[in-house]
Amino acid sequence: MLKRFELHNHTTESDASITCAELVDLMVRDRVDAFALTDHNTISGHRIVKKILEEKKPPVQCVYGMEYTTYYGHILCLNLRRYVPWDSIDRNCPEKLFRACREAGALAGIAHPFSYGAPFARGCRFEMTVTDFSQVDFIEVFNNSEPLHEVNERGLNGWQALVLRGEKLAATSGMDLHGARDMSMNFATYVEGEPNGDPALELERAIRSQQTWLSKGLALRWSLDADGGARFWLEDVRKPGFVPSDSYLLSLTDANGERTFDITAGERALSAAELGDAPVIIPKLYGESPQIEDLVCLAPVIRR
Amino acid sequence: MNKLYRAAGTVDRDFVGQITYTICLDHPLHELDIEFSFDKQRFQESDVTPALIAETAQICREKYGLTGTEDDVRRAILGKMKTEIHTLATINDEFIGCVHKQLTHRHMHYAWPDASEGCIPRETFEGVLKVTVLVFNVIQDDTHYSLTVRGE
Repeated sequence: MLKRFELHNHTTESDASITCAELVDLMVRDRVDAFALTDHNTISGHRIVKKILEEKKPPVQCVYGMEYTTYYGHILCLNLRRYVPWDSIDRNCPEKLFRACREAGALAGIAHPFSYGAPFARGCRFEMTVTDFSQVDFIEVFNNSEPLHEVNERGLNGWQALVLRGEKLAATSGMDLHGARDMSMNFATYVEGEPNGDPALELERAIRSQQTWLSKGLALRWSLDADGGARFWLEDVRKPGFVPSDSYLLSLTDANGERTFDITAGERALSAAELGDAPVIIPKLYGESPQIEDLVCLAPVIRR
Repeated sequence: MNKLYRAAGTVDRDFVGQITYTICLDHPLHELDIEFSFDKQRFQESDVTPALIAETAQICREKYGLTGTEDDVRRAILGKMKTEIHTLATINDEFIGCVHKQLTHRHMHYAWPDASEGCIPRETFEGVLKVTVLVFNVIQDDTHYSLTVRGE
């Protein structure tokens, strides 16, 4: 099954207006399978949420993390089991912090890379120079609190360019919650998992293998055929508030550009010739038009 | 609680980085309070000069491709630009909390089993306490801050 993860959430332990208990309630109400606790520069909420989950046993799981909020960019850290200091942050070598997080067993990625930063909110834009992207686990391609074109479209394009040049970077999305709000028709991150599976392990497996779906309500799934073609189909992930489209387009982006195919029927088989022979293909699902406003799902990358 | 340490300082516009104070706690403490405050968080109307408007407009245009009227820029300066300073503490290099909230005055207070939001409760404090002032943004010269550590 595909499990819904909400990977970017704050509480009153940093600068949000909702407490840890309210965040848990919000996630339960929206039928989230697992959420990440990612307060700015503190892990003080971990023990609070653990206690709530142990005592009340709500139908939701948690992965524990933190948003490293530095002067030069935000680094989302998931599966963080102990605090890793960031006071030696080096604008020209952020790999040192990514590496330290990994050594602590965590996953580390770039949050909202194109947000507006200084002079209004220093650090919100990622202004560090990454030389070795193999040290980065993921990029938060969709931050649902940020403007679609100015921030998220640039995030998608930036991630796409890196993936097409061969970088193994998972895509994630997050609400960046700082208060209670409607999550319908926003992107959530879906990963393969089991109802009572360990969310930390499932997330780690998905991020490390770049098997994440960013979706508003339908997941675009695919399998490769022995003859070099592929089959694509749509799966309803039952996200509350999803408004279906009258028609759907399957989009394939490779180094040569983007091609679209009708997939309104819910599935589509492509021959080897239609799929092409590019080593990296990024599949996406759109509603009526291949515009970012109509994007429904960003699926795991096809690598051959 | 007894006052253990008091420090104050001044930072100027555009300073970015951290300032760490190290305090040796040679007796075990069961309660700890770290109080921090700073001034000049926001611009006042009278601070918004034509030069500041022009400079901000230029940054917005060159860095983000944003354009707007002089009034738009003035409103953004008054409403969105802020000095942002947070506090983080460790004891014997172990993280015990960070208060990352848009406050000009804050306490990191520990009295087992409770602690302020952002802080991790602990029963005793002994050894080397480090309080780090994390300076994200300073919008005006001569921004003053003060730090007081109390314990019992």
